Amino acid sequence: MHKTSIMLRRLLVNVTPFWVHQRGLRTRDMTPGLLVSHWQKVFQDHQIPDAQDSSEILVSHALGAKTFRLIPPALSQRPVSDHQLQRIERMGQQRLQRVPVQYIIEEWDFLDMTLLMRPPVFIPRPETEELVGLVLADGHNLLSSWEPRILEVGCGSGAVSLALLQRLPQRSAPRGTLRVCHLSLRVSSRIENFLNCGFNCSSDIYQVFLFCLFNPSHPPDPPERLRPFGLIDTIVSNPPYIFTSDMSQLDPEIYRYEDHTALDGGPDGMDVIKGILRLAPRLLKQDGDVFLEGDPRHPEMLSQWLTRNPSVQLRLISTVRDFCKKQRFVHLRRS
Amino acid sequence: MKSTRDIGLLKSCFGHFYSWIVAPQRIQTRHITKCPGYGSHFPIGHTFLQGLGCPPRRCCYNDSHATWCNEKLQNYLNALRKEHEDLSQRRSLSSVKEDDQRTLGKRHNELSPIIALLKEIQAAEQDARELESMCADKNEKEELLQLAMEEKQMVNQNIEMLRRKLLQILLPNDKYDMSDVVLEVTSGRTTGGDICQQFTQEVFEMYQNYAYYKAWSFEILTYAPCDFGGLHHAAARISGEGIYKLLKYEGGTHRVQRIPEVGLSSRMQRIHTGTMTVIVLPQTTEIDIQINPKDLRIDTFRAKGAGGQHVNTTDSAVRIVHLPSGIVVECQQERSQLLNKDKAMMMLKAKLQQQIVEEELSQRHRARKLQVGSRTQSDRIRTYNFTQDRVTDHRISYEVRNIKEFLKGEEPFDDLIQRLQDFADMETLLEVTENYFSKTDQ
Repeated sequence: MHKTSIMLRRLLVNVTPFWVHQRGLRTRDMTPGLLVSHWQKVFQDHQIPDAQDSSEILVSHALGAKTFRLIPPALSQRPVSDHQLQRIERMGQQRLQRVPVQYIIEEWDFLDMTLLMRPPVFIPRPETEELVGLVLADGHNLLSSWEPRILEVGCGSGAVSLALLQRLPQRSAPRGTLRVCHLSLRVSSRIENFLNCGFNCSSDIYQVFLFCLFNPSHPPDPPERLRPFGLIDTIVSNPPYIFTSDMSQLDPEIYRYEDHTALDGGPDGMDVIKGILRLAPRLLKQDGDVFLEGDPRHPEMLSQWLTRNPSVQLRLISTVRDFCKKQRFVHLRRS
Repeated sequence: MKSTRDIGLLKSCFGHFYSWIVAPQRIQTRHITKCPGYGSHFPIGHTFLQGLGCPPRRCCYNDSHATWCNEKLQNYLNALRKEHEDLSQRRSLSSVKEDDQRTLGKRHNELSPIIALLKEIQAAEQDARELESMCADKNEKEELLQLAMEEKQMVNQNIEMLRRKLLQILLPNDKYDMSDVVLEVTSGRTTGGDICQQFTQEVFEMYQNYAYYKAWSFEILTYAPCDFGGLHHAAARISGEGIYKLLKYEGGTHRVQRIPEVGLSSRMQRIHTGTMTVIVLPQTTEIDIQINPKDLRIDTFRAKGAGGQHVNTTDSAVRIVHLPSGIVVECQQERSQLLNKDKAMMMLKAKLQQQIVEEELSQRHRARKLQVGSRTQSDRIRTYNFTQDRVTDHRISYEVRNIKEFLKGEEPFDDLIQRLQDFADMETLLEVTENYFSKTDQ
């Protein structure tokens, strides 16, 4: 009898129909704080990483706040409604399947913007926030150019382009108008992100090219299609840079749910990087910049590759460390 | 019978103070930004009438008058005047060396505006005296008397204004007066139970409302609410013009006396006493404090492992350790790691700034009653007595009724802040004069 009940409970934990939870918790007086600790325990039992963080975010998302601390005190005292409880339940179940939190709540913050995140769009990492700062700090000709043209290769949710557009000095045009040349806009959340941030796609003061190279499921955009738009000031990219050998060691959240084409950079993680570098001299203006994010091993490999390929007319200006003091970004310039 | 000569005198008086009435009026209007059109472009007569009709200002004239009549201050002013004359003479001498010449010139330039104002005041006082004698003259015609009375009022107002202006110039400028502030509230851990936390929340909201009232921007940095209602600790950044000058006297311990809303004490109608602490720190701009990135250790979840695309985590908390001072700051308010880091850096800067301010203060050994708030100098500065419905500021022994209105952070609160400001100004002024004399004695 005892054994069967244990077996049954084990089964139930995996399946966990709604009523089991409802019974275990006295739903009438579940305040957000109690809910968070409940789900934290559930996640910990199932060895879900970031147990506390996940449960806090899911609960606060159901209550309409961004983080647990931002839940207004009035709400955090009261028990949550049945509807909210069900919603948290649904989201918690998804998290038990190792779905990334960002996909569950379908949004995440990048700098001060909240962006839509729907699978399989690549979830921007905090390191990339620094890439934006780097471009603005070191991209001199981008800031001095009257009509800046930026090419972002592999733009994912469009986070980097959006952040750059918001931070570039406003010229005569009204706030944030740009021409998005959607060469390959397949991920719907990207378009929505652009629209949500208040950009309209008709004016042509800023030209941002969202450019898709090397997509196996989709014919790659030929670089010739960029020609009519003229030469470009700055190329920014957070290309796929994970070594294929490392792919299998990724967390299930990443391996199962995120787009591998946004992650897998080939045997040395440089497939797309090399593609960009070969292409860059043809697309860039004189002294145009290239900013890339990469693996900590890449700056070294990149400078070696450049010396082996003198035909690529780029020189390495600097490598920049991220806030964890890892070699993360490279800045190149067309010579 | 009045002689024509005297009428002429009256006219010349008019002309005399018209000519310099306009200038102070202009200065006043610059502060009153809310009434457009009340400006210097009006014809003189218009300004004059409006000046008469303008409502009495909130600041208490009596106080400034009392300060003015203070013997020490008068001595100080006389000394300054003498020094100025002395300097003017010495500068005209050719025997003075060039280096000395420069230092003399500097001091001379410092004193010149003060002396100019003093002269204006003396002229105005002279006018006032003449008018006084005219009013006292019983042979005067009714109309003229009327006119003279009005004039006298104007002249007095002007003297008052000039004196205030002079006092403002005499006050030394605090280095941080114009900067933004970081305001922190922490509830006390006394026997008050939850009234401390509840009160902390009310006070925090009061400052928030005050910021709205003053049209400053109010940005919450950390907010740690209690499980049972109320607020443990919160910090906010307030930015606008000259905020530190206004809010610096808010730092200190605020005491609350009230009957709790729940529990045994509420049924027994027992009054509890609790405290909360406010810390006001000037917010530095980038230039003031330079932090070497090498001195920082930044802890994030991502510090371990490969980082970058290899890791996807929602843990965006940032913890910064400033190695030389051992100060630790944390921020996990935002979902964006970089924003968290920026906020943490801001808090770190504020804390480092606090250290510097404290150092400076202790160096100066200022024996002022009103002190910049900080934990080390915490003393009970104000009591909010809910049962008697009044707020008492212990430093200036000032009482306000209607606590609810006060906690809205609007006019009554602003009024108190203004009074504290005036009081502090006076204290500083007296201190300056004392310092001056003690220096010259040596």
